[in-house]
Amino acid sequence: MPNEPKSKPRAVRTVSRSALLTLPMALFGLLMFSRTLALPGAAAKMAGLAAWLFMAGLFFFMMRTFETYRWRRIFFVTLGFLFPVGFIWDLISLRSSMSIPIEKMLSGDTPFCFLVIPMTIIPAALTKTIIFPGSILPTASNPHAIATMVALWVLATLVLGKAWCSFGCFFGGLEEGFSALAKKARINKINPRWRLVPWAVLAAIVLLSAATFEPTYCRWLCPFKTVTEYPEVRSVETAIQAGIFLSLFSGLVVVLPVLTKRRTQCAFFCPFGAFQSLFNKITAFDIRIDRDKCADCVSCQNSCPTLALDKDSIGRGKTLLACMKCGACVDVCHKGAAVWHVKGTAPNASPERARLLYLYGAWAFATMFGGDIIASSLQKLFGLVV
Amino acid sequence: MKRLTAILGLTAAGLTVLVTGLAPFLWFNVFTGAVSAAGLRIDPVYTGGEPARVIARQGYQIIIYHPVPQRALLPRIGPFVQLAWKPAAALPARVTEEIDLDNDNKPDLVASFDVPRDTKTDLRVDVQPLTPRVLAMSGVGQDSFSRLIARVNDAIVVRVPLRNAGK
Repeated sequence: MPNEPKSKPRAVRTVSRSALLTLPMALFGLLMFSRTLALPGAAAKMAGLAAWLFMAGLFFFMMRTFETYRWRRIFFVTLGFLFPVGFIWDLISLRSSMSIPIEKMLSGDTPFCFLVIPMTIIPAALTKTIIFPGSILPTASNPHAIATMVALWVLATLVLGKAWCSFGCFFGGLEEGFSALAKKARINKINPRWRLVPWAVLAAIVLLSAATFEPTYCRWLCPFKTVTEYPEVRSVETAIQAGIFLSLFSGLVVVLPVLTKRRTQCAFFCPFGAFQSLFNKITAFDIRIDRDKCADCVSCQNSCPTLALDKDSIGRGKTLLACMKCGACVDVCHKGAAVWHVKGTAPNASPERARLLYLYGAWAFATMFGGDIIASSLQKLFGLVV
Repeated sequence: MKRLTAILGLTAAGLTVLVTGLAPFLWFNVFTGAVSAAGLRIDPVYTGGEPARVIARQGYQIIIYHPVPQRALLPRIGPFVQLAWKPAAALPARVTEEIDLDNDNKPDLVASFDVPRDTKTDLRVDVQPLTPRVLAMSGVGQDSFSRLIARVNDAIVVRVPLRNAGK
Protein backbone atom coordinates (compact mmCIF):
# COMPACT_ATOMS: atom_id res chain seq x y z
CA MET A 1 0.00 0.00 0.00
CA PRO A 2 1.33 3.45 -0.80
CA ASN A 3 0.15 4.82 2.53
CA GLU A 4 0.44 2.45 5.43
CA PRO A 5 -2.39 3.01 7.89
CA LYS A 6 -0.69 4.81 10.76
CA SER A 7 -2.16 4.60 14.20
CA LYS A 8 -4.51 7.43 14.92
CA PRO A 9 -4.16 9.14 18.26
CA ARG A 10 -7.14 7.29 19.63
CA ALA A 11 -7.97 6.06 23.11
CA VAL A 12 -7.36 2.40 23.77
CA ARG A 13 -9.78 0.08 25.52
CA THR A 14 -8.89 -1.06 28.98
CA VAL A 15 -7.16 -4.43 29.21
CA SER A 16 -10.02 -5.95 31.18
CA ARG A 17 -12.69 -4.79 28.73
CA SER A 18 -10.58 -5.92 25.75
CA ALA A 19 -10.08 -9.31 27.42
CA LEU A 20 -13.80 -9.60 28.04
CA LEU A 21 -14.54 -8.89 24.39
CA THR A 22 -11.88 -11.43 23.37
CA LEU A 23 -13.22 -14.17 25.65
CA PRO A 24 -15.93 -15.54 23.28
CA MET A 25 -13.43 -15.67 20.42
CA ALA A 26 -10.79 -17.29 22.63
CA LEU A 27 -13.29 -19.99 23.68
CA PHE A 28 -14.35 -20.55 20.08
CA GLY A 29 -10.67 -20.83 19.13
CA LEU A 30 -10.03 -23.34 21.90
CA LEU A 31 -12.86 -25.45 20.51
CA MET A 32 -11.44 -25.16 16.99
CA PHE A 33 -7.88 -26.06 18.00
CA SER A 34 -8.94 -28.82 20.40
CA ARG A 35 -8.56 -31.35 17.56
CA THR A 36 -4.91 -30.37 17.04
CA LEU A 37 -4.32 -30.20 20.79
CA ALA A 38 -5.68 -33.73 21.17
CA LEU A 39 -3.33 -35.20 18.56
CA PRO A 40 -0.47 -37.32 19.91
CA GLY A 41 2.99 -35.76 20.12
CA ALA A 42 4.46 -32.58 21.53
CA ALA A 43 4.64 -30.89 18.10
CA ALA A 44 0.86 -31.06 17.65
CA LYS A 45 0.19 -29.73 21.14
CA MET A 46 2.69 -26.90 20.68
CA ALA A 47 1.21 -26.04 17.27
CA GLY A 48 -2.37 -26.05 18.58
CA LEU A 49 -1.42 -23.89 21.53
CA ALA A 50 0.63 -21.48 19.40
CA ALA A 51 -2.13 -21.12 16.82
CA TRP A 52 -4.75 -20.53 19.52
CA LEU A 53 -2.64 -17.92 21.31
CA PHE A 54 -1.83 -16.28 17.98
CA MET A 55 -5.47 -15.94 16.89
CA ALA A 56 -6.80 -14.95 20.31
CA GLY A 57 -3.89 -12.56 20.85
CA LEU A 58 -4.44 -10.73 17.57
CA PHE A 59 -8.15 -10.42 18.33
CA PHE A 60 -7.30 -8.99 21.72
CA PHE A 61 -5.15 -6.31 20.10
CA MET A 62 -7.94 -5.51 17.64
CA MET A 63 -10.21 -4.94 20.60
CA ARG A 64 -7.65 -2.98 22.59
CA THR A 65 -6.45 -0.63 19.85
CA PHE A 66 -9.67 -0.24 17.81
CA GLU A 67 -7.53 -1.06 14.78
CA THR A 68 -8.26 -3.86 12.35
CA TYR A 69 -5.89 -3.74 9.41
CA ARG A 70 -2.57 -4.04 11.22
CA TRP A 71 -3.55 -7.13 13.25
CA ARG A 72 -5.50 -8.78 10.46
CA ARG A 73 -2.47 -8.38 8.22
CA ILE A 74 -0.22 -10.24 10.68
CA PHE A 75 -2.64 -13.16 10.60
CA PHE A 76 -3.15 -12.98 6.86
CA VAL A 77 0.52 -12.84 5.89
CA THR A 78 1.31 -15.66 8.32
CA LEU A 79 -1.45 -17.71 6.70
CA GLY A 80 -0.17 -16.82 3.22
CA PHE A 81 3.37 -17.99 3.95
CA LEU A 82 2.52 -21.01 6.10
CA PHE A 83 -0.06 -22.46 3.71
CA PRO A 84 2.46 -23.37 0.98
CA VAL A 85 4.81 -24.76 3.64
CA GLY A 86 2.19 -27.27 4.83
CA PHE A 87 0.82 -27.96 1.37
CA ILE A 88 4.19 -28.56 -0.29
CA TRP A 89 5.29 -30.60 2.73
CA ASP A 90 2.31 -32.92 2.23
CA LEU A 91 2.96 -33.21 -1.51
CA ILE A 92 6.63 -34.04 -1.02
CA SER A 93 5.87 -36.61 1.68
CA LEU A 94 3.14 -38.25 -0.41
CA ARG A 95 4.57 -38.00 -3.91
CA SER A 96 8.16 -36.75 -3.57
CA SER A 97 7.24 -33.99 -6.00
CA MET A 98 5.09 -30.86 -6.32
CA SER A 99 3.83 -31.99 -9.70
CA ILE A 100 0.58 -33.87 -9.91
CA PRO A 101 0.83 -37.02 -12.00
CA ILE A 102 -2.09 -38.02 -14.21
CA GLU A 103 -2.58 -41.13 -12.04
CA LYS A 104 -3.59 -38.92 -9.10
CA MET A 105 -6.04 -37.00 -11.28
CA LEU A 106 -7.64 -40.24 -12.44
CA SER A 107 -7.96 -41.55 -8.89
CA GLY A 108 -9.65 -38.34 -7.67
CA ASP A 109 -6.85 -37.35 -5.33
CA THR A 110 -6.48 -33.71 -6.40
CA PRO A 111 -7.38 -31.31 -3.57
CA PHE A 112 -10.18 -28.96 -4.65
CA CYS A 113 -9.33 -25.29 -4.83
CA PHE A 114 -11.89 -22.52 -4.38
CA LEU A 115 -10.53 -20.70 -7.45
CA VAL A 116 -12.19 -23.38 -9.60
CA ILE A 117 -15.71 -22.61 -8.34
CA PRO A 118 -16.76 -19.99 -10.97
CA MET A 119 -15.65 -22.31 -13.78
CA THR A 120 -17.64 -25.28 -12.54
CA ILE A 121 -21.04 -23.58 -12.35
CA ILE A 122 -22.19 -23.73 -15.98
CA PRO A 123 -21.00 -27.30 -16.67
CA ALA A 124 -22.52 -28.43 -13.35
CA ALA A 125 -25.84 -26.78 -14.20
CA LEU A 126 -25.89 -28.32 -17.69
CA THR A 127 -24.60 -31.83 -16.96
CA LYS A 128 -24.48 -32.27 -13.17
CA THR A 129 -20.76 -32.94 -13.48
CA ILE A 130 -17.83 -31.12 -11.89
CA ILE A 131 -15.02 -30.41 -14.32
CA PHE A 132 -12.25 -31.03 -11.81
CA PRO A 133 -10.29 -34.21 -11.07
CA GLY A 134 -11.09 -34.35 -7.34
CA SER A 135 -13.71 -36.19 -5.33
CA ILE A 136 -17.19 -34.98 -4.40
CA LEU A 137 -17.09 -36.23 -0.81
CA PRO A 138 -14.04 -36.41 1.46
CA THR A 139 -11.97 -39.59 1.26
CA ALA A 140 -8.98 -40.83 3.23
CA SER A 141 -6.65 -39.89 0.36
CA ASN A 142 -8.37 -36.57 -0.39
CA PRO A 143 -9.88 -34.75 2.60
CA HIS A 144 -10.12 -31.51 0.57
CA ALA A 145 -13.13 -32.73 -1.35
CA ILE A 146 -15.40 -30.55 -3.44
CA ALA A 147 -18.36 -30.65 -1.02
CA THR A 148 -16.17 -29.56 1.92
CA MET A 149 -14.54 -26.70 0.05
CA VAL A 150 -17.80 -25.48 -1.47
CA ALA A 151 -19.42 -25.57 2.00
CA LEU A 152 -16.58 -23.42 3.30
CA TRP A 153 -16.94 -21.04 0.37
CA VAL A 154 -20.71 -20.67 0.79
CA LEU A 155 -20.23 -19.93 4.48
CA ALA A 156 -17.48 -17.41 3.77
CA THR A 157 -19.55 -15.77 1.08
CA LEU A 158 -22.57 -15.34 3.34
CA VAL A 159 -20.49 -14.02 6.20
CA LEU A 160 -17.75 -12.11 4.43
CA GLY A 161 -18.65 -11.52 0.78
CA LYS A 162 -15.50 -10.15 -0.83
CA ALA A 163 -13.86 -10.03 2.61
CA TRP A 164 -12.94 -13.65 1.80
CA CYS A 165 -10.02 -11.98 0.04
CA SER A 166 -8.74 -10.46 3.28
CA PHE A 167 -9.67 -13.14 5.85
CA GLY A 168 -9.74 -16.44 3.97
CA CYS A 169 -7.65 -16.47 0.81
CA PHE A 170 -4.23 -17.86 1.71
CA PHE A 171 -2.96 -16.85 -1.73
CA GLY A 172 -3.75 -13.20 -1.00
CA GLY A 173 -1.65 -13.43 2.15
CA LEU A 174 1.47 -13.99 0.05
CA GLU A 175 0.83 -10.83 -1.94
CA GLU A 176 0.04 -8.84 1.15
CA GLY A 177 3.34 -10.01 2.60
CA PHE A 178 5.33 -8.96 -0.45
CA SER A 179 3.46 -5.63 -0.65
CA ALA A 180 4.57 -4.87 2.91
CA LEU A 181 8.27 -5.37 2.16
CA ALA A 182 9.18 -1.98 0.67
CA LYS A 183 8.85 1.21 2.69
CA LYS A 184 7.59 3.28 -0.23
CA ALA A 185 5.86 2.46 -3.47
CA ARG A 186 8.03 2.85 -6.58
CA ILE A 187 4.98 2.91 -8.83
CA ASN A 188 2.28 5.26 -7.61
CA LYS A 189 0.20 6.02 -10.68
CA ILE A 190 -1.93 3.11 -11.77
CA ASN A 191 -4.55 3.49 -14.47
CA PRO A 192 -7.89 2.58 -12.84
CA ARG A 193 -8.90 0.76 -16.02
CA TRP A 194 -6.72 -2.14 -14.86
CA ARG A 195 -9.49 -2.83 -12.35
CA LEU A 196 -11.59 -4.17 -15.22
CA VAL A 197 -9.10 -6.92 -16.09
CA PRO A 198 -10.31 -9.41 -13.42
CA TRP A 199 -13.83 -9.14 -14.85
CA ALA A 200 -12.52 -9.83 -18.34
CA VAL A 201 -10.50 -12.81 -17.05
CA LEU A 202 -13.56 -14.06 -15.16
CA ALA A 203 -15.81 -13.83 -18.24
CA ALA A 204 -13.18 -15.49 -20.42
CA ILE A 205 -12.48 -18.43 -18.11
CA VAL A 206 -16.15 -19.06 -17.33
CA LEU A 207 -17.07 -19.14 -21.03
CA LEU A 208 -14.00 -21.11 -22.09
CA SER A 209 -14.50 -23.62 -19.30
CA ALA A 210 -18.13 -24.06 -20.33
CA ALA A 211 -17.06 -24.52 -23.94
CA THR A 212 -14.16 -26.90 -23.30
CA PHE A 213 -15.35 -28.65 -20.13
CA GLU A 214 -11.97 -28.01 -18.58
CA PRO A 215 -10.95 -25.66 -15.75
CA THR A 216 -9.20 -23.22 -18.09
CA TYR A 217 -7.76 -20.98 -15.37
CA CYS A 218 -6.11 -23.92 -13.61
CA ARG A 219 -4.67 -25.22 -16.85
CA TRP A 220 -3.25 -21.97 -18.12
CA LEU A 221 -3.38 -18.96 -15.81
CA CYS A 222 -3.20 -19.72 -12.09
CA PRO A 223 -0.12 -18.01 -10.63
CA PHE A 224 -0.43 -20.03 -7.43
CA LYS A 225 0.37 -23.31 -9.14
CA THR A 226 3.92 -22.17 -8.48
CA VAL A 227 3.50 -22.67 -4.73
CA THR A 228 0.99 -25.52 -4.74
CA GLU A 229 0.89 -28.23 -7.38
CA TYR A 230 1.09 -28.26 -11.15
CA PRO A 231 0.71 -30.90 -13.86
CA GLU A 232 3.81 -32.96 -14.40
CA VAL A 233 5.97 -31.40 -17.13
CA ARG A 234 5.91 -34.14 -19.76
CA SER A 235 5.33 -32.20 -22.96
CA VAL A 236 5.85 -28.83 -24.64
CA GLU A 237 2.32 -27.84 -23.58
CA THR A 238 2.90 -28.55 -19.88
CA ALA A 239 6.30 -26.81 -20.08
CA ILE A 240 4.58 -23.69 -21.49
CA GLN A 241 1.95 -23.88 -18.73
CA ALA A 242 4.66 -24.10 -16.06
CA GLY A 243 6.36 -21.07 -17.62
CA ILE A 244 3.13 -19.07 -17.53
CA PHE A 245 2.47 -19.98 -13.88
CA LEU A 246 5.96 -18.97 -12.86
CA SER A 247 5.88 -15.69 -14.83
CA LEU A 248 2.48 -14.68 -13.44
CA PHE A 249 3.53 -15.55 -9.92
CA SER A 250 6.81 -13.68 -10.01
CA GLY A 251 5.26 -10.67 -11.77
CA LEU A 252 1.89 -10.28 -10.10
CA VAL A 253 2.47 -11.80 -6.67
CA VAL A 254 6.07 -10.82 -5.93
CA VAL A 255 7.50 -8.00 -8.07
CA LEU A 256 4.49 -5.73 -8.64
CA PRO A 257 3.24 -5.84 -5.03
CA VAL A 258 6.74 -4.82 -3.91
CA LEU A 259 6.85 -1.96 -6.44
CA THR A 260 3.29 -0.69 -5.93
CA LYS A 261 2.59 -1.73 -2.33
CA ARG A 262 -0.79 -2.94 -3.62
CA ARG A 263 -2.21 -6.41 -3.99
CA THR A 264 -1.77 -6.39 -7.77
CA GLN A 265 -2.80 -9.95 -8.54
CA CYS A 266 -5.98 -9.51 -6.48
CA ALA A 267 -6.79 -6.10 -7.90
CA PHE A 268 -5.82 -6.54 -11.54
CA PHE A 269 -6.02 -10.22 -12.39
CA CYS A 270 -7.81 -12.57 -9.98
CA PRO A 271 -11.11 -13.77 -11.50
CA PHE A 272 -12.22 -15.28 -8.19
CA GLY A 273 -11.89 -11.88 -6.53
CA ALA A 274 -14.12 -10.38 -9.22
CA PHE A 275 -16.61 -13.22 -8.76
CA GLN A 276 -16.55 -12.71 -5.00
CA SER A 277 -17.23 -8.98 -5.44
CA LEU A 278 -20.71 -9.89 -6.65
CA PHE A 279 -21.50 -11.27 -3.21
CA ASN A 280 -20.56 -8.05 -1.44
CA LYS A 281 -24.15 -7.07 -2.18
CA ILE A 282 -25.63 -9.83 -0.02
CA THR A 283 -23.53 -9.46 3.11
CA ALA A 284 -24.69 -7.43 6.09
CA PHE A 285 -21.57 -5.29 6.35
CA ASP A 286 -19.81 -2.65 4.31
CA ILE A 287 -17.59 0.38 4.75
CA ARG A 288 -19.00 3.89 4.46
CA ILE A 289 -17.46 7.32 4.26
CA ASP A 290 -19.26 9.79 6.48
CA ARG A 291 -19.47 12.83 4.20
CA ASP A 292 -20.02 15.17 7.15
CA LYS A 293 -16.63 14.23 8.60
CA CYS A 294 -14.69 13.61 5.38
CA ALA A 295 -11.96 16.15 4.57
CA ASP A 296 -11.43 14.73 1.05
CA CYS A 297 -7.77 14.09 1.86
CA VAL A 298 -7.99 10.80 -0.13
CA SER A 299 -5.75 9.03 2.36
CA CYS A 300 -8.34 6.23 2.33
CA GLN A 301 -8.05 5.99 -1.45
CA ASN A 302 -4.26 5.87 -1.24
CA SER A 303 -4.33 3.22 1.46
CA CYS A 304 -6.61 0.78 -0.37
CA PRO A 305 -4.66 -2.33 -1.49
CA THR A 306 -7.12 -3.07 -4.32
CA LEU A 307 -8.08 0.43 -5.55
CA ALA A 308 -11.62 -0.01 -4.23
CA LEU A 309 -12.01 3.70 -3.55
CA ASP A 310 -11.84 6.63 -5.93
CA LYS A 311 -12.92 10.26 -5.74
CA ASP A 312 -16.42 9.48 -7.08
CA SER A 313 -17.02 6.68 -4.61
CA ILE A 314 -15.69 8.79 -1.73
CA GLY A 315 -18.09 11.52 -2.85
CA ARG A 316 -20.94 9.01 -2.70
CA GLY A 317 -19.79 7.86 0.73
CA LYS A 318 -19.32 4.27 -0.41
CA THR A 319 -16.57 1.92 -1.49
CA LEU A 320 -16.54 0.26 -4.90
CA LEU A 321 -17.67 -3.32 -5.43
CA ALA A 322 -14.06 -4.54 -5.17
CA CYS A 323 -13.85 -3.59 -1.46
CA MET A 324 -12.52 -6.56 0.51
CA LYS A 325 -13.23 -5.00 3.90
CA CYS A 326 -9.64 -5.25 5.12
CA GLY A 327 -9.98 -2.12 7.27
CA ALA A 328 -7.04 -0.18 5.79
CA CYS A 329 -9.13 2.89 4.92
CA VAL A 330 -10.87 2.92 8.31
CA ASP A 331 -7.59 2.71 10.20
CA VAL A 332 -5.87 5.40 8.13
CA CYS A 333 -8.68 7.99 8.32
CA HIS A 334 -7.68 10.65 10.83
CA LYS A 335 -11.12 12.23 10.76
CA GLY A 336 -12.95 9.02 11.61
CA ALA A 337 -14.97 9.43 8.42
CA ALA A 338 -14.30 5.94 7.03
CA VAL A 339 -16.34 3.62 9.22
CA TRP A 340 -17.56 0.05 9.53
CA HIS A 341 -21.27 -0.10 8.80
CA VAL A 342 -24.20 -2.49 9.11
CA LYS A 343 -26.41 -2.17 6.04
CA GLY A 344 -29.80 -0.67 6.76
CA THR A 345 -28.53 1.45 9.64
CA ALA A 346 -27.56 5.12 9.42
CA PRO A 347 -24.04 5.59 7.96
CA ASN A 348 -22.62 6.90 11.22
CA ALA A 349 -24.64 4.71 13.59
CA SER A 350 -22.34 3.00 16.10
CA PRO A 351 -19.42 2.16 13.79
CA GLU A 352 -17.62 0.31 16.58
CA ARG A 353 -20.68 -1.88 17.15
CA ALA A 354 -20.66 -2.63 13.41
CA ARG A 355 -16.93 -3.42 13.53
CA LEU A 356 -17.40 -5.76 16.48
CA LEU A 357 -20.26 -7.64 14.84
CA TYR A 358 -18.26 -7.91 11.62
CA LEU A 359 -15.09 -9.02 13.36
CA TYR A 360 -16.79 -11.72 15.43
CA GLY A 361 -18.04 -13.35 12.23
CA ALA A 362 -14.91 -12.71 10.17
CA TRP A 363 -12.47 -13.76 12.89
CA ALA A 364 -14.46 -16.87 13.73
CA PHE A 365 -14.18 -17.85 10.08
CA ALA A 366 -10.49 -16.92 10.03
CA THR A 367 -9.87 -19.07 13.13
CA MET A 368 -11.85 -22.01 11.76
CA PHE A 369 -10.24 -21.98 8.31
CA GLY A 370 -6.95 -20.06 8.38
CA GLY A 371 -6.16 -20.91 11.99
CA ASP A 372 -6.46 -24.60 11.19
CA ILE A 373 -4.06 -24.22 8.25
CA ILE A 374 -1.60 -22.31 10.46
CA ALA A 375 -1.80 -24.99 13.18
CA SER A 376 -1.28 -27.78 10.67
CA SER A 377 1.76 -26.12 9.09
CA LEU A 378 3.25 -25.23 12.49
CA GLN A 379 2.85 -28.82 13.57
CA LYS A 380 5.04 -29.92 10.65
CA LEU A 381 7.66 -27.27 11.40
CA PHE A 382 7.71 -27.99 15.14
CA GLY A 383 8.03 -31.67 14.28
CA LEU A 384 11.47 -30.89 12.85
CA VAL A 385 12.81 -29.79 16.20
CA VAL A 386 10.69 -31.56 18.82
CA MET B 1 -39.09 2.75 7.81
CA LYS B 2 -35.52 3.71 8.77
CA ARG B 3 -36.00 1.95 12.09
CA LEU B 4 -37.27 -1.17 10.36
CA THR B 5 -34.33 -1.32 7.94
CA ALA B 6 -31.96 -0.77 10.85
CA ILE B 7 -33.54 -3.66 12.78
CA LEU B 8 -33.38 -5.88 9.69
CA GLY B 9 -29.75 -4.94 9.08
CA LEU B 10 -28.71 -5.62 12.66
CA THR B 11 -30.64 -8.91 12.67
CA ALA B 12 -28.82 -10.00 9.51
CA ALA B 13 -25.50 -8.98 11.07
CA GLY B 14 -26.30 -10.93 14.25
CA LEU B 15 -27.33 -13.98 12.21
CA THR B 16 -24.03 -13.81 10.37
CA VAL B 17 -22.17 -14.15 13.65
CA LEU B 18 -24.48 -16.95 14.80
CA VAL B 19 -24.12 -18.91 11.55
CA THR B 20 -20.32 -18.68 11.68
CA GLY B 21 -20.23 -19.77 15.31
CA LEU B 22 -22.42 -22.80 14.63
CA ALA B 23 -20.88 -23.69 11.27
CA PRO B 24 -18.27 -26.18 12.54
CA PHE B 25 -20.96 -28.19 14.30
CA LEU B 26 -23.83 -28.14 11.81
CA TRP B 27 -23.00 -26.57 8.50
CA PHE B 28 -20.52 -29.02 6.98
CA ASN B 29 -22.58 -32.15 7.61
CA VAL B 30 -25.75 -30.51 6.32
CA PHE B 31 -24.03 -29.11 3.25
CA THR B 32 -22.13 -32.30 2.41
CA GLY B 33 -25.40 -34.22 2.69
CA ALA B 34 -27.10 -31.74 0.36
CA VAL B 35 -24.30 -31.97 -2.22
CA SER B 36 -24.47 -35.75 -2.02
CA ALA B 37 -28.23 -35.68 -2.56
CA ALA B 38 -27.90 -33.33 -5.53
CA GLY B 39 -26.39 -36.19 -7.54
CA LEU B 40 -23.31 -34.28 -8.67
CA ARG B 41 -20.43 -36.37 -10.00
CA ILE B 42 -16.94 -35.81 -11.26
CA ASP B 43 -16.63 -35.36 -15.01
CA PRO B 44 -16.11 -38.77 -16.68
CA VAL B 45 -13.06 -37.38 -18.46
CA TYR B 46 -11.34 -37.79 -15.08
CA THR B 47 -13.17 -40.82 -13.64
CA GLY B 48 -13.46 -42.78 -16.88
CA GLY B 49 -17.24 -42.97 -16.57
CA GLU B 50 -19.39 -45.81 -15.30
CA PRO B 51 -18.33 -49.47 -15.52
CA ALA B 52 -20.37 -51.36 -18.15
CA ARG B 53 -19.26 -54.92 -17.49
CA VAL B 54 -16.54 -57.04 -16.00
CA ILE B 55 -14.65 -59.88 -17.70
CA ALA B 56 -13.14 -62.39 -15.29
CA ARG B 57 -9.73 -63.82 -16.12
CA GLN B 58 -7.45 -66.19 -14.23
CA GLY B 59 -6.56 -64.18 -11.09
CA TYR B 60 -7.59 -60.79 -12.40
CA GLN B 61 -10.45 -59.02 -14.13
CA ILE B 62 -10.95 -56.54 -16.92
CA ILE B 63 -13.48 -53.76 -16.33
CA ILE B 64 -14.94 -52.27 -19.48
CA TYR B 65 -16.44 -48.81 -18.99
CA HIS B 66 -19.16 -47.09 -20.96
CA PRO B 67 -17.65 -44.96 -23.74
CA VAL B 68 -17.16 -41.32 -22.76
CA PRO B 69 -18.51 -39.16 -25.58
CA GLN B 70 -17.20 -35.80 -26.67
CA ARG B 71 -19.47 -33.22 -25.04
CA ALA B 72 -17.72 -29.89 -25.17
CA LEU B 73 -18.32 -27.24 -27.82
CA LEU B 74 -14.57 -26.74 -28.21
CA PRO B 75 -13.32 -30.20 -27.37
CA ARG B 76 -9.69 -30.85 -26.55
CA ILE B 77 -10.35 -34.37 -25.44
CA GLY B 78 -11.92 -36.76 -27.93
CA PRO B 79 -14.27 -39.63 -27.14
CA PHE B 80 -12.66 -42.64 -25.48
CA VAL B 81 -13.40 -45.83 -23.66
CA GLN B 82 -11.68 -46.83 -20.45
CA LEU B 83 -10.49 -50.34 -19.71
CA ALA B 84 -9.05 -51.37 -16.36
CA TRP B 85 -7.07 -54.48 -15.50
CA LYS B 86 -7.04 -55.25 -11.79
CA PRO B 87 -5.36 -56.16 -9.58
CA ALA B 88 -2.23 -55.12 -11.41
CA ALA B 89 -0.13 -57.36 -9.20
CA ALA B 90 -1.88 -60.44 -10.59
CA LEU B 91 -1.23 -59.62 -14.25
CA PRO B 92 1.25 -61.61 -16.36
CA ALA B 93 4.47 -59.94 -17.52
CA ARG B 94 2.84 -59.16 -20.88
CA VAL B 95 -0.85 -58.65 -21.44
CA THR B 96 -2.39 -59.13 -24.87
CA GLU B 97 -6.17 -59.14 -24.88
CA GLU B 98 -8.91 -59.02 -27.44
CA ILE B 99 -11.64 -56.78 -26.07
CA ASP B 100 -15.27 -56.74 -27.09
CA LEU B 101 -16.43 -53.25 -26.15
CA ASP B 102 -20.12 -53.52 -26.99
CA ASN B 103 -20.73 -57.15 -25.98
CA ASP B 104 -21.70 -58.25 -29.52
CA ASN B 105 -19.34 -61.26 -29.34
CA LYS B 106 -16.99 -59.65 -31.87
CA PRO B 107 -13.72 -58.21 -30.62
CA ASP B 108 -13.29 -54.47 -31.23
CA LEU B 109 -9.61 -54.12 -30.40
CA VAL B 110 -6.48 -55.88 -29.30
CA ALA B 111 -4.66 -54.18 -26.42
CA SER B 112 -1.15 -55.17 -25.45
CA PHE B 113 1.24 -53.86 -22.86
CA ASP B 114 4.10 -55.01 -20.65
CA VAL B 115 3.62 -55.12 -16.88
CA PRO B 116 6.99 -54.34 -15.30
CA ARG B 117 7.33 -55.46 -11.69
CA ASP B 118 8.90 -52.12 -10.83
CA THR B 119 5.82 -49.92 -10.42
CA LYS B 120 7.83 -46.78 -11.17
CA THR B 121 8.64 -47.91 -14.73
CA ASP B 122 6.65 -46.04 -17.38
CA LEU B 123 3.98 -48.07 -19.10
CA ARG B 124 3.37 -48.17 -22.87
CA VAL B 125 0.35 -49.59 -24.66
CA ASP B 126 -0.40 -50.69 -28.23
CA VAL B 127 -3.98 -50.88 -29.46
CA GLN B 128 -4.84 -52.51 -32.74
CA PRO B 129 -8.35 -51.62 -33.89
CA LEU B 130 -10.54 -54.39 -35.21
CA THR B 131 -13.56 -52.18 -35.90
CA PRO B 132 -13.67 -48.69 -37.47
CA ARG B 133 -14.86 -46.91 -34.32
CA VAL B 134 -11.61 -47.68 -32.46
CA LEU B 135 -8.47 -45.62 -33.16
CA ALA B 136 -5.02 -47.21 -33.12
CA MET B 137 -2.35 -46.48 -30.51
CA SER B 138 1.27 -47.46 -30.77
CA GLY B 139 3.66 -47.20 -27.85
CA VAL B 140 1.43 -44.64 -26.11
CA GLY B 141 2.21 -43.60 -22.53
CA GLN B 142 0.21 -40.65 -21.27
CA ASP B 143 -0.54 -38.51 -24.32
CA SER B 144 -3.85 -37.07 -23.11
CA PHE B 145 -6.90 -37.98 -21.06
CA SER B 146 -8.26 -39.94 -24.03
CA ARG B 147 -5.01 -41.77 -24.97
CA LEU B 148 -3.14 -43.21 -22.05
CA ILE B 149 -2.03 -46.07 -19.89
CA ALA B 150 -1.56 -45.46 -16.15
CA ARG B 151 -1.43 -47.24 -12.82
CA VAL B 152 -4.44 -46.05 -10.82
CA ASN B 153 -4.63 -47.48 -7.31
CA ASP B 154 -4.36 -51.26 -7.79
CA ALA B 155 -5.35 -51.25 -11.48
CA ILE B 156 -3.75 -50.58 -14.83
CA VAL B 157 -6.03 -48.25 -16.76
CA VAL B 158 -5.98 -47.93 -20.54
CA ARG B 159 -7.96 -45.29 -22.39
CA VAL B 160 -8.60 -46.03 -26.02
CA PRO B 161 -9.61 -43.18 -28.34
CA LEU B 162 -12.78 -43.69 -30.33
CA ARG B 163 -13.80 -42.17 -33.62
CA ASN B 164 -16.33 -39.38 -33.32
CA ALA B 165 -19.85 -40.54 -34.09
CA GLY B 166 -20.77 -39.42 -37.61
CA LYS B 167 -17.17 -39.37 -38.90
